[in-house]
This record gives sequence, structure tokens and C-alpha cells, in this order.
Amino acid sequence: MTSLAYARANSFDEARSLLTNGRYRLPVLKSGGMDIVDLMKEGLLAPDLLIDVRSAHGQGDSIQQRGDRLWITPNATLAEIAASPIVRSAAPGLAQACESAATPQVRNVASAAGNLLQRPRCWYFRNEEFPCLKKGGATCYALEGENQYHAIFGDGPCYIVHPSNLAPALIVLDGRVEVAGADRDSIPVAELFHMPEQGVRSEHNLRKGEVITGITCSTAPTSGFYAIKEKQSFDWPLVFAVASLMMNGPTIAEARLCAGAVAPIPWRLENVEQALRGVSPADEQALRRACAPSVEGANPMSQNAYKTQLLPVAVRRAIQRAAGLPVEDAT
Amino acid sequence: MPSPLTHEPTSPTANRPTNLGHAISDHGNRVDAVEKVTGKARYARDRYLPNSLFACFVRCPYGAARLESYDLEAARNTPGVVEVEVAASEGRYQGQTVGHLAAESHAAMRRGLQALAAKWRPKDCVVEIEQAMSAGPDLAPETKAVLSRADFVLDAVYTTPVQTHCSLETHGTVVDHKGESAIAYVSTQGTFASTDGLDEPMGLPRSRYEVVCEYIGGGFGSKLNGAGKEGALAARLSAKHRRPVYVFVDRQEEHLDTGNRPSSRTHVRVGIRKDGQIVGGQIRKWGGVGISNRGGGVNIPSGRYNLGAISEWFEDVTFNAGSPRPFRAPGCPQGAFAEELMLDELAAAIHMDPLELRLKAVGDAEHGDMLRRGAELIGWNRRQANGAGAGPLRRGFGVGTTHWSRFPAEVEAEVVIRRDGSIEARTGTQDIGTGQRTVMATIAADALGVPIEAVDVRIGRSSLPAGPASGGSVTAHNSCPAMHEAARDARNKLLQAVADRAAAEVTTLQLRDGVIYNEGRHLMSFREACAVLRGDSVTGRGSWNAQKLGADKTGGTSNGAQFVELVVDVETGVIRVERIVAIQACGRVVNRKTAESQIIGGVIQGLSYALFEQRILDRRLGSMVNPNLEMYKIAGTADMPRIEPVLWPQPNSGVRSLGEPPTIPTSGAIACALFNAIGAPARSLPLTPARVLAALAAAKGGAQ
Repeated sequence: MTSLAYARANSFDEARSLLTNGRYRLPVLKSGGMDIVDLMKEGLLAPDLLIDVRSAHGQGDSIQQRGDRLWITPNATLAEIAASPIVRSAAPGLAQACESAATPQVRNVASAAGNLLQRPRCWYFRNEEFPCLKKGGATCYALEGENQYHAIFGDGPCYIVHPSNLAPALIVLDGRVEVAGADRDSIPVAELFHMPEQGVRSEHNLRKGEVITGITCSTAPTSGFYAIKEKQSFDWPLVFAVASLMMNGPTIAEARLCAGAVAPIPWRLENVEQALRGVSPADEQALRRACAPSVEGANPMSQNAYKTQLLPVAVRRAIQRAAGLPVEDAT
Repeated sequence: MPSPLTHEPTSPTANRPTNLGHAISDHGNRVDAVEKVTGKARYARDRYLPNSLFACFVRCPYGAARLESYDLEAARNTPGVVEVEVAASEGRYQGQTVGHLAAESHAAMRRGLQALAAKWRPKDCVVEIEQAMSAGPDLAPETKAVLSRADFVLDAVYTTPVQTHCSLETHGTVVDHKGESAIAYVSTQGTFASTDGLDEPMGLPRSRYEVVCEYIGGGFGSKLNGAGKEGALAARLSAKHRRPVYVFVDRQEEHLDTGNRPSSRTHVRVGIRKDGQIVGGQIRKWGGVGISNRGGGVNIPSGRYNLGAISEWFEDVTFNAGSPRPFRAPGCPQGAFAEELMLDELAAAIHMDPLELRLKAVGDAEHGDMLRRGAELIGWNRRQANGAGAGPLRRGFGVGTTHWSRFPAEVEAEVVIRRDGSIEARTGTQDIGTGQRTVMATIAADALGVPIEAVDVRIGRSSLPAGPASGGSVTAHNSCPAMHEAARDARNKLLQAVADRAAAEVTTLQLRDGVIYNEGRHLMSFREACAVLRGDSVTGRGSWNAQKLGADKTGGTSNGAQFVELVVDVETGVIRVERIVAIQACGRVVNRKTAESQIIGGVIQGLSYALFEQRILDRRLGSMVNPNLEMYKIAGTADMPRIEPVLWPQPNSGVRSLGEPPTIPTSGAIACALFNAIGAPARSLPLTPARVLAALAAAKGGAQ
């Protein structure tokens, strides 16, 4: 008989001690619980202790300006971040990334840390009929199967796309997660995830017993997010991109770019960042040229080559949005 | 011919015809609206009875597989498991049932299934039409001769995917068997049809058990086969254990094994002359029926257009997947998608406006009037030539037509007036969401001459007077005349009693707005009239059947036309449908709100089919990769265009069909609008961004 205990942690220290006291076989942290509930229903996760950390961050605002950086509690909901006046003015790309995710109902519950650490939505992973690599099986079914929503970058052996909207946005904002429980205080979000060849059973680099206690990022008023989705209600993006720009008058001095839904991790686009130096976002032809290399190194499968067409468009529109230019689209 | 509608629209509701007199109830809400939105309405799935057993099926997880091992003992010994049976070891589609398990709780049932640890070895399987179809006939010499008279011959293949019904309330039944009697709470479109599959497992004559279906959370044709295998299992186990048994499938099972709209492939070779005359040709059609061997029909030619001399050929293609069931206008959206886009491609080839081609090709005046009126409403004059736009956003207009016949059904109805003034309108047919309760209340109240609030409607029980299963859009138009007759009969009996008491002539009595008038003068209230009844009540009876329908001259087809305006982002392939004008005839309108809801719902289902929905099977294992409501994509609120239902005035008509016709033309009209916007046809549904980009690329390649 399966038994499941539930504990409410009033601090992250308490959460950590529950996580590491050895009394439970598989203690799991939960904040919003959106993905945990899915995973349990799908038979992918069978914890014997759920540690609810929603009341762990104590008093104080869940989103704060601390010096030249923003601090966000890991429990902040996507809706809170999207609606926060601080985030909307200091990091609009991050607010837009949160606003674009899922549905109002999900955003009202889903947490920032949960968004970073959620498991991929790959339909082979989520479907118990398919014992895929991620579940300890021998095959990635996407490779020769139904791969229209899978990765166009990376050499396998698993072709998930990382599901987080937040992670790419934080990466272009030099985001870090503050952690407790190991010999380090924080990790750059850019180093939070690993490719499948570095370990296919998990996506992130947190160590056992480590707990995210905060999320920080720099401010970037010229940042923007753009997602291309099949459905405009409740859908995962086919491709999305986030841009953060340092402007020198009308031209880009320095750009930070990251794409999502194209690779097993948030996908940095350093070649485009280089190409954007000195480009005016208002010069559409120059912008198109600079964005074209975003697909360099892509290696699409049988059904997802269309993503190589979408990626430069998403990148260009994220840059335009970051620069405050109007983006005409069909959404 | 001038349009029968004269005023210009300013809002969706302003599109309503000017002669509102033909709607019996113009502003009435659903009589059960509050029950539905407050959760008070009880669906079969809500029937958690004390002491229930919960049962489920053991199913094959792959397209084709052999059950190699399972642990019956472990399943039986799981706490709470009451019985488990595995009766077969071969599966030929995912979801095929090979056994069942019953337990004291839902959780114990799930644990039991896990403990059963069924190990299946997948076998080779076939998952789509193209892998299993035959080539079909070549062009016959006569057809070649027909095509030789054309100036242009279109050779094109159109395909549509499997659409699952996705009823929010999944398929299932709760049976409460007490030995000598029983009640079956069934989520069904056929309260009376349900008994066909329940008699044997119940082990009772129909006089001893009742089927109850007071509300149903969606069916769309998939719940026409009564209580189905879920109901049979519930009945058998309840009869055996003498306990209530709850069998409702989960979301995955709902996608896999409760029916679907079959996939289709349509290959047309059709010719047209420069003057717009379609000469004919060949249309070969394949329907993807999964493990079934029938039910894949594709309705092209629809009969709405004169397509010349067409040689038709059709094949049902069997493969390893769940089989079809009727789905809101079976075969019709598939056929209409191919037919409408074919017409637009033919028109483009001869540089003719596709609306003009349709006006030439439609076979009846009413469709012509609808096409002209719809063109005004959508602003067809703003339509540019195919692919004429520039920039990332391209605008397109499209059109499609529809029709549906009146099919007969047997209906019995009763109206009971009691001494206390209460009124019961009784007919057993269920409400599949179309508004049957509201329609019956409206008809009875109107025919009696009392306010609608005075009528209590009793439906959805097999102990009530019999009525049809709701399929083929038969329910309202067959029930209304029966209920009308019953109400008139009850009224006449009441008035006779009043005449006897008041020494008046019954012919001079009238019942109007809840008051009895004698020769136009107030005589007594309806309630006072009821008090004069000698017995407890009077019962009026009415009926309707094929013979009466055949003799009725107020019927006819329910024609319609839909116009679509959309915008496409040619850089991303994303489509935004902005407006859909849906003109629909349905004869006399009983309740305007439910009639418009039928049209709007049909359009939404058609739009969702056009843009998003598809069952996706893994090509190697034959298992569905999107058996949920996350990756099986259905249109949501942000995908909605402005939908403008237009009830076509037919003031002298009886009630006609309405459930199915509004979902037929939507996908074709959207595909035509996309063709207009980008100048390239996308011949496969759903019209995803990837498909739009592929169509654009193909057109570009062809032009070079």
C-alpha cells in the first residue's frame, strides 16, 4: 500500500531538514504542486513525503528590488511576477515570459522555482506505454517517432525540449538561483541545467538536499519575450526567445539572447548576440541578417524542421519587443 | 433575388432576422441554466452511491500486442480488490479490452491494475490510411472523356485526421441493482436505446429497471450506442454483487476506445471549363476506420453543388486503432473540407471568384440567397485575389455551405395537469446539451397558454413516454409536434372540465397567459380551473412518427452557409480567425438562445477541427501519444473568433434539424480563407503553423 505524508515547512531550513533526515524514502519539495500532481498521476513520481514550502519564505514582499538586482521568492507565482510593477518596468522580458505561460488558473498557482524545475512535457516521457531513456529505458522514441514538438539542437540521446519559460528569461538577465544545503550560495541559471549526455534521468544540476531559497536577476528595461504557439489558449510554445539589450543610442551595444522549446536546455544564441552588435533594431533587414545564424548547428528530425523557420522569427520579434518596437502578428 | 433580410448588422445580435415572430421564445434562458452552472445538475458520473464498487477494464496498451504474463493472484490479493478477470491475450488496437477489475474504491482499483502487472509484447502494427489502403480504380474511359471536355483538371489529395469526441463527461454508467429491480444511471444519447445492451447483464425485464440520464456532459454521437460496454460491465457486476457499481472510463480511455471521427483521404480529379461549368471527373475516398471495417464514409459530393458527371469510389481502411462512431454529421466535415477547397482551387484555375463559382454550382435558390446575404455580412467585397497581400500578415476570406434533412423518429409525450395547478410535461428522451428541457417547456407552455415557469419538464428516464436516441439531429423536430399535441390534448380536457362546471360551451373557452376566458371575458384563473377537476389530474397525450413526418408539409432541409475572415502570419504560419458569419436555417425557432448556441457550438467544433485537433499515434507502437487534453489540442477562449449566428427566417416552417449542420462547413471555409490569404492550398487538416509554412514553401517552389 502506498502511503504519502504531507508536511508544511515554515522555513527553508525546516524544509531541508525534512528533505535530508533520512526518515523518508523519497521526500519531495512542493510549492505550487502543478507538475508534482501531474507526475504522480502519470506514475512518474511516487514520493512518500511532500514538503510544502509555500509558507517557507517568511515575511516580506515576494518580489523585491535589492540594489541593482531583483530578488524573487521561489514561491512567487507566475501570475505575481507577471503582474509585478517592479518586474514589468525593470525586466519586462521576464514579466512577458511569465504572462505567456499556460493559463490564468495555472499561473495563479505555479511557482517560479517549480517552473524552473518542472520535468519535460515530452509525450513519450509522460506516457507510461513508452519506457524511454528518461525513465531508464533503452530508446528515445521521438527519434524515429512523433517528434514535431521535440528538439532541433543537441545530439541526443534524448530529444526533449526544456519546458521552462522562466529559465531563458532569467538567463538573459544574468539570473541566479540562491541555494541552501551545499557548499555554494548560488548558481547561475545558465548553469542550472545539463544536456542529456550529462545525465538523461534529470534535467537540472541541483545536488541532493539542495533547496532553492531565492531567485535573482539583473534589471533590463530593454528586454522582451516572444513565443510562437499553435493555440493561443493553454499551449506550449513551438519556439520562443527572450532578448535583453544594452543600447548605444539607436543601435545595439550588447545583446543577450536565449531560445526555448528548441533544445533540452535553454538555448543560448551567442552567435546572434555577436552579429547584433551595432545593429539598429529598427533596421529590419539588418535585424533579419543578424538573426539568421540562430539556427546554426540545428539538426532537425523528421517532423520538426519547421522550427528552424520559426526560430529566427521568434528571435527577431523578441528583440523588436525588447527595443519597444511594435510587433505585428496574428495573436 | 432580393435578400429577405433588410437591415445592416452593427453587432452579432443585430444580425438577427427582422421578423422575430417565428421564434416562440426570443429571450428565454435555459430552464436548467442555474442547475448547470451551480453544479446542482446531477450527471451520471456524479452518482457516487453508498457502498459502491468501482470497476475498470484491462486494456491492450499497444496497436498490436500479445499479453505475455500477468499476476492474477497479486491483483486479487491487493487490499480492496473484489474481482479480476483476464479473458483474452491478444490486442489489435490500443485500448482494446481483455478483462476487468472491480474494487472497493477507485484507488484500490488502480492499485489492483498495477499489481496485475500485465506484460505485453508489442507486435508490428499499421496506424494510418496510407499504410493499408488499396490504390483504387484508375480513370475509366468515360471519365477520361468527361475530363477531356474541361479547360482545367484539378488533381489533388485532401486529408483529415482522426478527431476524438472528447466528451467532458467520459463514457460510463452507474448501476444500482437491488435484486428485484435496478436503476442504471447512464451517460447516454439514447435513454431507451440503452436497454438493448442492459437487459441481458441486468437479468431483469425492462419493466423492472429504469435507465436515468438527466444530464449528459457531451456525446456528439459517441454515446448513441446506449450504455455500451461500460454499462454492460456495471450491470453485470451490480447484478452479481448486489451493490452499486461505478464504471467510468478515464481521459485516456475516452480518447482510445469510445469512438472518433475517422480520418479521411480524398483524391479528386475534377475538371472545369473557363465559363465556370464543372464537368465532373473522379473522386476516390478512403476512410480510416481503425480496427473496424466500416463507418469511414466521406460525404463528397455533398449534393449541394452540381459537380457534373462524377465517378465515385470509396474504401474503408482498417488498421490498428480504435474504431469510429457517429460524430456530429458523420462523414460531412471531412467531405466538406475537400469539396469547398476543391471548389476554390477550381475557381482559382479559371480566375473566377469562388463565391461566383458557388452561385453557379449550388442547386437550390435558398443556398444562393444565403451566399449573397452572407457575402454582404462578411464584407466579401474586401476580398483580394488569392495571395495578393503583402507583408507578414495576410487576410483571407472563405465560404462553405451546409444542409441537413429531417429524419423521422417515434416520440410519445404526455402533459399532466393536476388539481393544484401544477403541470408536468413528460417525454423520456434525454437532453444531450442542445436544450431539450427548455424546448419541451417552451412548446408545452405555448400550446397550453401558460407561462413557461408553470411547466415542470420530465425527461431522461426510460419510465417516461418513449422518445428517440439523439442522433441525426432528430430530437427537437420530432419531439416538438408530439409535445404540442399532448399539451393541446391536456388543455382541451381541462377546458372541457371547466365547460362542464361553468355550463359554458367548450368552443367559446380560451386559455391564454394563464387565464381562462369565455367569449373573450375573464372567467377564472388557470389555478381555479384546475381545482374544478374531478379526478387528481388530466393527462394529454401526443405522438409523432415517420408517417406523420411524411405527411407534414412544413418541413424541409436545414440549409446554411458560413463565411470566414482570417489573418495569417506568413512568417510563423499562425492563423487567427477573426470572424465567422454562420447563416443557418432550422425552420421555426423554439428558443433563440439555445438555437444560436447550437450554431456557435458547431462553428467552434468545426474551427477546432480545422486548426488543432488530431489523434496522433506513435507509428511504431500504435499507441496514442496525446491521449489527454494537453497535447490533444482543442480550441480555447483565446482562439475564438467573433461568431455571428444568423437564424434564417422560415416563418411558415415547422421545427427542423439544427444539431449537426452548423459544424459541417466551418473547416472547409477556413481552409478556403487560408488559400485566399496565402495563395497556396493547404490540403491537410489540421492547419498547423508547420502545414501553413509547408504550403507556402510548396507554392514558392512551384513558382520558381
